[in-house]
Amino acid sequence: MSASTTPRPVPATAAGAAPADTQDAPRYLGSAQGNWFARVGWRHLVAWAAIAFSVFPILFVVSAALNPLGQLSSTTLMPNAFSLENFAKLLSTTEFARWFLNSIVIATVAGFLSMFISALAAFAFSRYRFKGRRAGLMFLLLVQMFPQFLAMVAIYIMFTRITQLYPQIGFNTWWGLIILYMGGALGVNTWLMKGFFDTIPKDLDESAKVDGATHTQIFFGIILPLVAPILAVTGLLSFIGTINEIIMANVFLTKSESKTLAIGLYGLIAGERNNNFGIFAAGTLLTAIPTVALFFALQKYIVGGLTAGAVKG
Amino acid sequence: MADVVFDRVNKVYENGFHAVKDLSLDIADGEFLVLVGPSGCGKSTALRMVAGLEDVSSGEMRIGGRVVNTVPSKDRDIAMVFQSYALYPHMTVADNIGYGLRIRKTPKAEIDRLVREAAAKLDLTEYLDRRPKQLSGGQRQRVAMGRAIVRRPQVFLMDEPLSNLDAKLRGQMRTEIAQIQQDLGTTTIYVTHDQVEAMTMGDRIALMKKGVLQQIAEPQHMYENPDNIFVAGFIGSPPMNMAAARLDRDGDTYSVQLGEQTLRLSPEALAAHPRLAEYVGRDVVIGIRSEDMEDSRVKGGEGLRATANLVEALGSELMVYFTLDARAADTEDIKLLEKDHGDRAAKSLVSGGVRWVASFAPRARTRPGDAIMVTVDTARMHFFDPETSLAIRA
Repeated sequence: MSASTTPRPVPATAAGAAPADTQDAPRYLGSAQGNWFARVGWRHLVAWAAIAFSVFPILFVVSAALNPLGQLSSTTLMPNAFSLENFAKLLSTTEFARWFLNSIVIATVAGFLSMFISALAAFAFSRYRFKGRRAGLMFLLLVQMFPQFLAMVAIYIMFTRITQLYPQIGFNTWWGLIILYMGGALGVNTWLMKGFFDTIPKDLDESAKVDGATHTQIFFGIILPLVAPILAVTGLLSFIGTINEIIMANVFLTKSESKTLAIGLYGLIAGERNNNFGIFAAGTLLTAIPTVALFFALQKYIVGGLTAGAVKG
Repeated sequence: MADVVFDRVNKVYENGFHAVKDLSLDIADGEFLVLVGPSGCGKSTALRMVAGLEDVSSGEMRIGGRVVNTVPSKDRDIAMVFQSYALYPHMTVADNIGYGLRIRKTPKAEIDRLVREAAAKLDLTEYLDRRPKQLSGGQRQRVAMGRAIVRRPQVFLMDEPLSNLDAKLRGQMRTEIAQIQQDLGTTTIYVTHDQVEAMTMGDRIALMKKGVLQQIAEPQHMYENPDNIFVAGFIGSPPMNMAAARLDRDGDTYSVQLGEQTLRLSPEALAAHPRLAEYVGRDVVIGIRSEDMEDSRVKGGEGLRATANLVEALGSELMVYFTLDARAADTEDIKLLEKDHGDRAAKSLVSGGVRWVASFAPRARTRPGDAIMVTVDTARMHFFDPETSLAIRA
């Protein structure tokens, strides 16, 4: 935007020579003579509208969390009372801490594992030519087109059996859910990463190969550092997807102490009446912390990761 | 140090493309061999087979007497410089150069010493902490060289290492690479499509066309004695002038009929090409280098009449482009050469003749549009069989 508002220098000859041609006369965009609003101003309006749109709910939740009455009807956009009572109640009357731990562990492990396994798969799909490569890629894409809860019945039956045989990875366990989430995210992550891997010149692999590196050394030493942005993006997407997931978790987790945040918090307001929205709001605010923290930590990679693949750079 | 031997090596890709056909090469220990040819001639494939980046379909590849057909790259003790340099973007220059040593678990102090030594040789010492992104093209090229020399491998493989540089840097790096190779005495295989690099750098040149080795010889020998039309047209700048002509004989005198004009061949020319007698009354392809022609006012003697189209005064010589009223040689090789060099394509498009270029002495003072008489040193002419494309010699 700044480039278009910078006045262009007037060619030295234009001033003295032939009568000024209106077409060649420099236009000072964004100045008093230009139509500032048509050019630039409307963008500010859009931006403010977008900001209001996204800030409004957050503000409301903050206000609700601080409202000791715990009723939505008495909650205003701007907090009219300040109390941490809801937070205290949340921690004392529910198993929030436990849910929080469950969510963090499941989301972190599932996010990391799915990122790592996808990276391995993407490396193979991007670098090697083998029988079934095309078919494999197509299959991954195809599987991705069906929503995961389509398989819910099958998964439920499978895990009923697994729970009987191996209760450590069955219902109400971390590992059961981790395995489930990992499988769900593998396809899309592999495709996303393969596209990114393809932009890394094969010369680098070959050069390392001639330098004496093994496949493993090439993968960890050369390729992984260069695909950090896409790792950050897929890791983050898996993390967010997992921490917010409710359908599968609802089927899987029945015991209170094994619930994740999404299930646990939903339970707080699932009743017919007497729902304490204050506590719920406090819980959602706390839930947002890990996601936001992760976002900030990975911010510099994410910008590169989301745009990369589109334009080689 | 080691020699490299290609013994009837073939490369056939899965899609059936036969990239290298029956290549037999014997590269001596410490030799600088340049593999040259137009794009798609199989030269890079040949190099990549030495590197172990491509499988050998059939035949035997030996490095230092050891058959390496199935030996992985890392165990071949070779180093390769890529056209793109293939520097690791996330590592500093020092880490880039030392990567191969680190992989081989060389002690840290030793790596440091070797990297500094290589960097000093290449004037990179002050850039050791930088990343490739912060370097200029020439510096990146040096880092790529450094990565190759630091390990003291048995063989250097270079795949068009200079083609990403501008002309001035290319000339400079050309001599530097040749110098480094000479200092280290490491066997080197250098792939290029640039015949100037081939002429100036190599101990020997191997010229390939469509996967087939055309000729292997020392640069000057190849320049003076090309085995076929393709070699003649590829090596040398400006390229050799060629035309189709009929060979006639009148008693003991041989002559070639170029369009309407007759060019008598000197006895030396006959002595140098005794097999010419077999071609009397037939078409041959004649070739003559620009420096073997002179303005008749400078040198005297009879010659070919033509009109100068364009004159480039280079100070030491005049490059005179003229159209000769003759038939263009129309063989497969010529077409291939024309495709390879866009500028050569223009040659055949000139209607009613072939476009030649001669190098005159500056005192000829030829100007565009002048009618000129070109004296040809027929003893230095080349004759080729239009059917087989081979040189007609002894």
